Amino acid sequence: MRIAVLMKAVVEPESRIELGTDGEVQRANFRYELNEYDLYAVEEGIRMAELYEAEVTVVSAGPEEAVQSLRKGLAMGATDAIFIPVEESMGDAFLSATVLAAALKPIQPDLVLAGVESNDLGGSQVGVLVAEQLGYVAATMAISVQVGNDGVLNVRRELEGGNFVEVNLQMPAVLTIQTGLNEPRYPSLKGIMAAKRKDLVRLELSSLDLSGSQLVETIEYSYPPQRERAQMLEGNSEAIAGELVSLLREKEKVL
Amino acid sequence: MSREVWCIVEHRRGQLDTDSLQLFGAARRLDGEAVAVVCGDEVEELAERVSGQCDRVISLSNSALASFTPDGYAQAIVPLALERQPAAILALHSHFLGRDLAPVLASRLGTGLISDCIDVEWRTGFVGKRLVYRRKLIATQRSIEPGVQVATCQRGAFVVPESTGLGAEVEVLPIEIDAAAIRWEVGAFDEAEVVAGDITEADVIVAAGRGVGSKENLDLVQRLAKAIGGTLAASRPLVDHGWLPRGLQVGSSGKTVRPRLYLALGISGAIQHVVGMRDSDVIVAINKDPRAPIFEYADYGVVADLMEIIGPLTDEVEALQG
Repeated sequence: MRIAVLMKAVVEPESRIELGTDGEVQRANFRYELNEYDLYAVEEGIRMAELYEAEVTVVSAGPEEAVQSLRKGLAMGATDAIFIPVEESMGDAFLSATVLAAALKPIQPDLVLAGVESNDLGGSQVGVLVAEQLGYVAATMAISVQVGNDGVLNVRRELEGGNFVEVNLQMPAVLTIQTGLNEPRYPSLKGIMAAKRKDLVRLELSSLDLSGSQLVETIEYSYPPQRERAQMLEGNSEAIAGELVSLLREKEKVL
Repeated sequence: MSREVWCIVEHRRGQLDTDSLQLFGAARRLDGEAVAVVCGDEVEELAERVSGQCDRVISLSNSALASFTPDGYAQAIVPLALERQPAAILALHSHFLGRDLAPVLASRLGTGLISDCIDVEWRTGFVGKRLVYRRKLIATQRSIEPGVQVATCQRGAFVVPESTGLGAEVEVLPIEIDAAAIRWEVGAFDEAEVVAGDITEADVIVAAGRGVGSKENLDLVQRLAKAIGGTLAASRPLVDHGWLPRGLQVGSSGKTVRPRLYLALGISGAIQHVVGMRDSDVIVAINKDPRAPIFEYADYGVVADLMEIIGPLTDEVEALQG
């Protein structure tokens, strides 16, 4: 069995997110990290590989910083990695999915795992779009996954309101992975050393047989309207506690 | 191109997801005719129910649609959309229709998908606005391909239009579904565990997040909740850690609450949490990070280490109850 895990380098939440005088996002300020959701997908892939003797390929299309994320995946235990450099300023979820699907096609994974969404743009589309392009079945928001003997996946999916549903599907398939279904491991020193000897293949966009291009473009960025600011309470803990309780009681009348 | 905006009505096990009626508000923003599309098995009653709030209803019933599956819904919707060419198809950015179905519809209709929109409009083409980079920016996005547009809408971003009091026309269409082409086999449903004190009914909620630090510290939060006459709730990380049952989770994958008072303790305010509590009457946030997004939603904010302030706060509340 071969498992592929999609990984995205996302803009760190602590990065300065500002617009320039031309209204463009100041991408030079961006720092990147591995998308948190993808970490759970990698862990799940590696656990399944240990259980079912599978190989795990971690794949990323994005900025150069994605190489660091892929190395982390290798250090955690992935078999090999594929990196396709793509500038973030170009493209949309459809193009990302097209690039990833083109890179996956030659390796024909039985199972593709991805995080449920990205922390920075949060479109939650790429996993399902990759499935559509590969002709695979997809299910999102997986909170547990079991593999049956006959290649049937038993997937527990999270729904709104704390409800769950079980779905069975036949591989090849794409699943998007919700946080909390496992505890991602920290790469061991041995894993980090071993990762240096593993294959990290770099595929140029021009070498891929792409079946489509971007379908959505961002035409403008703006700052969200300022909300009315919270009244901030200051002082020592006792003073704050006293002030808060009297505000809630006398002004808001909720106590 | 028609002016029809198809709004896919979300329902599960006979229960209407009333948030999906907000899609009719989005259709109005698009100057369109709000057409409710109801898919399922024997959904005529549901179709009648939503007909008071929209301009027309298309009811698509087939026994193969009894449970939601992306393949089944796509089989029902895609050929009809290709034939009738609605201007746009909208769904909630929900777990089923938003995440599983919308990308499939867009892909099979050969168009882009703009997801989790907080606003939609026509410019030179279909435009959706969405929050990006953890809500620090709004991206205005335009769909490049002409034809039927597909978008998902954030819960709470649009307002349900007032009921007309008149039932709109319900068009019941016979549809053929190839059940063998449905690749999901849907199994058991698990309803949320019932926990003591339903948080959706609570008047006062004391919610704990990652900033609580340890499971032991939850006792202090519990003590405050008891003193204040409130119900304990949690953000997702605490539930993921197994510190509190899932039934206490507030947010997009938990419950939506609207208490008179919501105390957010050590909760950073990720959008997934905020959508579940932002309509509370009074929100108090205590967090040690002054830049935590929760302060954008709070009426009162305290930048402090939770463990330093929770003791004095509990004492103060207990003194009040005397």
